[in-house]
Amino acid sequence: MPVRKFRSVEEMNQPTWRQPADPQLYRAIAFVWELALRTNPRRFPPGVHKYRSIDEMSRVQEQRAIEHARSLAAGRRGK
Amino acid sequence: MDFDLLKRVLVAIESRGVKYAIFGAVALNLLGLARATEDLDIFVAPEEPNIERLKLALRDVFDDPEIDGIAARDLLGEYPAVQYNPPEGSFHIDILTRLGEAFSFADLEVERVPYHDVTVTAVTARTLYRMKKDTVRLKDRADAELLRERFGLEPD
Repeated sequence: MPVRKFRSVEEMNQPTWRQPADPQLYRAIAFVWELALRTNPRRFPPGVHKYRSIDEMSRVQEQRAIEHARSLAAGRRGK
Repeated sequence: MDFDLLKRVLVAIESRGVKYAIFGAVALNLLGLARATEDLDIFVAPEEPNIERLKLALRDVFDDPEIDGIAARDLLGEYPAVQYNPPEGSFHIDILTRLGEAFSFADLEVERVPYHDVTVTAVTARTLYRMKKDTVRLKDRADAELLRERFGLEPD
């Protein structure tokens, strides 16, 4: 990978947009998703879950995310 | 999310002729911003045969009797948001037929976009921006701002 230079940390942190159909986009997506799977593995309760609205579904997901984060933190403290 | 597993799901959805549109984080990825996500969000046309086609597509990929629990009477009735978590457990598919009063399937601006070597249907950048900009989640509002800047969208 070539060296890239930035004039500020803000410039460094800008999101990298790629063009749809650019093979680099799909390599980047696959890399980011694989990294997330390896560093933050989740296990969602299998099956079908029904909600009366997307807000209700989002609340349940947020609560699961909080519980997952707590579980990860507890696991790290226990090491 | 597993890149190749998602591709299998999308190929099956396309092959079965499901009327759908991807939104959420996967749509953001398709627009050009690689972003980690744990779910595929899809809007589906609220028609019973379409829901049945979606179930067939999921069965093409997952050998899971739970898929029978996705019911048209729910998605067309009291439960417009259904989450399907496949047995392998690392991601989920969020299936919507309505998004509050703001969006229905007929309201969506969609386009055909590539996902590697498959062509899929996703909401446009403008629609994704409109979906994300007024939500309570800070992450969504930050995504909306990124979309506005990238695609030169005017705030409503």
